Amino acid sequence: MTGGQIAGAATLPSAPPAMPLQDTVLLPERLGELTGLDGFGLGGELLATFLAAFIVGNLMLAMTGVAGPWAKRKITAAFTDRIAVNRLGPAGLFIILADSVRLLSKELVIPENADRPAYDLAPIVVASSALLGFAVIPMGSGIHLADPEVGLAYVFAVSGIASLGLVMAGYASSNKYSLLGGLRAVAQNIAYEIPLVITGMSIVIFAGTLQLGEIVSAQAKPLLTIAGISIPSWYALVNPFAFVLFLVANFAEVGRNPFDTPEAPTEIVAGYQTEYSSVYFVLIYLGEFLHIFLGGAIIATIFLGGPAGPGPAALGIVWFIIKIWAVFFATQWLRSAVPRVRIDQLIEIGWKGLLVLSFANLVLTAVIVGLIA
Amino acid sequence: MTSDSTLESPPTERADSIGAAELEALLGDAVLDRDDHENAPAIVIRPDAVQDVLATLRDEAGFDHCACVTAQEYPDRFETIYHLQSYADPTREVSVVVPTPTDEPRSESATPVFETANWHEREAYDLVGIEYEGHPDLRRILLPETWQGHPLSRDYDQEQPQVVTLSEHANPIAGDEHDTASDTMFLNIGPHHPSTHGVLHVKAVLDGETVVDVDPDIGYIHRCEEQMCQQSTYRHQIMPYPDRWDWVSSGLLNEWAYARAAEDLADIAVPDYAQVIRTMGAELSRLASHFIAVGTYALDIVGEFCAAFQYGIRDRELVLDALEELTGQRMMFNYFRLGGVAWDLPEPREEFIAGVRDILDSFPAKIDEYHDLLVTNEIFQRRCVDTGVLEPEAAKDYGCTGPVARGSGIDYDLRRDDPYGYYPHLEWDVVTEPDGDNFARLLVRLREIEESAKIVEQCLDLLAEWPEDERTLQSNVPRTLKPAADAELYRAVEGAKGELGIYIRADGTDTPARFKIRSPCFSNLSALPEIARGEYVADLIAAIGSLDCIMGEVDR
Repeated sequence: MTGGQIAGAATLPSAPPAMPLQDTVLLPERLGELTGLDGFGLGGELLATFLAAFIVGNLMLAMTGVAGPWAKRKITAAFTDRIAVNRLGPAGLFIILADSVRLLSKELVIPENADRPAYDLAPIVVASSALLGFAVIPMGSGIHLADPEVGLAYVFAVSGIASLGLVMAGYASSNKYSLLGGLRAVAQNIAYEIPLVITGMSIVIFAGTLQLGEIVSAQAKPLLTIAGISIPSWYALVNPFAFVLFLVANFAEVGRNPFDTPEAPTEIVAGYQTEYSSVYFVLIYLGEFLHIFLGGAIIATIFLGGPAGPGPAALGIVWFIIKIWAVFFATQWLRSAVPRVRIDQLIEIGWKGLLVLSFANLVLTAVIVGLIA
Repeated sequence: MTSDSTLESPPTERADSIGAAELEALLGDAVLDRDDHENAPAIVIRPDAVQDVLATLRDEAGFDHCACVTAQEYPDRFETIYHLQSYADPTREVSVVVPTPTDEPRSESATPVFETANWHEREAYDLVGIEYEGHPDLRRILLPETWQGHPLSRDYDQEQPQVVTLSEHANPIAGDEHDTASDTMFLNIGPHHPSTHGVLHVKAVLDGETVVDVDPDIGYIHRCEEQMCQQSTYRHQIMPYPDRWDWVSSGLLNEWAYARAAEDLADIAVPDYAQVIRTMGAELSRLASHFIAVGTYALDIVGEFCAAFQYGIRDRELVLDALEELTGQRMMFNYFRLGGVAWDLPEPREEFIAGVRDILDSFPAKIDEYHDLLVTNEIFQRRCVDTGVLEPEAAKDYGCTGPVARGSGIDYDLRRDDPYGYYPHLEWDVVTEPDGDNFARLLVRLREIEESAKIVEQCLDLLAEWPEDERTLQSNVPRTLKPAADAELYRAVEGAKGELGIYIRADGTDTPARFKIRSPCFSNLSALPEIARGEYVADLIAAIGSLDCIMGEVDR
């Protein structure tokens, strides 16, 4: 087997035509090359792609696995003068193991009047829609599954599928709190998806492309050089206004404070996830964290230079993960400190505030870019 | 002590109350008789003239506060007592006694005059069995709908099993709550809900996110506290119970309610030194209670995992440590005794006093944190300002007291208006806020924390200087206390949540014949529909939080 692989690798031409920018070789191709799977035609390519997706998916799931049970506790505890988990393993890290056993071994309680296929599908939709988004994110160190020309549009599209999952969960649970939560979730996602996409478009105007790989490499150019230190033209620095807008819209999109009205536990118990228990609960929970990380990944990619950072390019993934975690950290910070807005205020902020501002930003960006060009 | 002394005026000096003769002139032929309660003149009136009498007393004599409604059964009659006071001066009191015959316990309802009588009369109907004509909604309030009999009536058989089958028991989610005509949704909030602060069940009718109507449903944690107190001796057995009414650190304040009532009833003097310790302990309790109120309110507005909540818990913890040092307990203090307190400050005194001072010194910086996180936060203001407004007139109508009333601009605080303990000798202010919204009620609590800290500080100064040979902890109280037969008294203290009153009727034995608890939370919570109607669901939750109800005290 090993011999066959090596032979296959040797006989085949090297990677497809190099694109001019970084991450020229996508992960499936590199894997195919390394393992020799690309010698097996379409089947081999599929297998290599599957392997690559498996790696990226697991990387993200591992991060949520750490973030959910452990990091979130530790971070909120630090904000609220507590210590949090510290008994199991160093800094309580083994709580991750204990938590996963606990969550998975709980009884799955399904309400009598639940609308079954929808009720069962909702958690899967919520969790998988976020995972799909990572397919086009360039994470540095060669970890990049695909780089379609409509990358940014694709990310917004798949992460928007989550709203469908939330509505399904909301109405299929046959619970009034779930229904209220589902309705709030839709209202919120519609109100904030538009500013999010519009603000994203202003970046597209800068970069001139929807392709995420190119957006990242466009940010590598130096913005200005002060005392020999070159500051890259990350779009967060080029257009901080758009960055803030996007950040706010993103918090609303992932439903975190001050925009966590859809599940507002003190008002509507847990919103759309009230009736979910055990594995389904874990899936929804995972989905939420994946969405936070996906939001972080999008922000890192289009505003913070993606995997760029000091040191060798091989460290790209490290920088990328640090940036994602910075966004995650910010969500927990807000959660500890910022009050939740009321649903009508939330909608008002979305439609009357963010939407107007994001269009202003778009027009202004277009004018400025047009003038410079 | 002796039966004679109970008839004398109680230790605290009462203001000039309206004379019974004057009342009779005012009320004309509605008055049947006079009675003499320890706290106030009492007039006995015709059961069909309740509304006229109460309305006259409210409008013409200024008795605008229906503090409490007590119902009880005598061998020959039922009796409802409306304890009327004035918000301007709570020492002006009058008790309106409405007797009804045993075979037909019916009297006119006071609800059209005082909205607060609504719940009180429902409770009287539920526990004692008096029926009120003209009551808008006379159903059981504490016990289940299917309960057989009225537990505080004389013919109630305690051995009778109360079998309530599941099918018999009204299922709140069964039936036709779908009002298809009006497009509203019926929603059960609680009794198990993250922000009902205990087992409160709010039946809400929603139009979208707007609250059309709410009906608080209470009684889930009714523990027969009144009956337990009626079966316990005055001297020692009742004192542990008040800790269990409002268990969120208000223990000493609750104990003081019983101590004050029983001491006034039996004419027991309390040494000054014990009064200072009581005052300090009670204010520490108030601090702890307000910290948790502010913290849980933050929980309702900000969301779970919020820093302000943890800060509330953190600061309450310090106060509880001090109370533990003092009383030996963190929750069920049982520290007051009739005629004083159980024991002196813990040794070494200097260390205890310095420790409490350290805690107090840390407060200003901490209160600034609450202001940063909550009061000055723009989103928080958007959530709380002008939502859940309780107008002062409505607050009086519902008998609201404590921070809820003071948040509506009603300058009413029994510590100042009906002085007891060592409060009259100390420098502090009554806090009021005029706006009556969710925000004002929070501000009142935050500012009261500062005032309570001031009081504790002054008590510490006094205790540190107190001559060693004058530290009398308890006055001489007989081992068995038997107040005179038919001595009746309603007496209240300013609890953490408002006016916590106790009505006791003695029958010459060592246990009370009737022990009625006037819980501030009970009256405050009854105003919830007034506050929440027309608001958003989120504001309903905020309103519940801002009322700061402890269900143990509501249900008793």
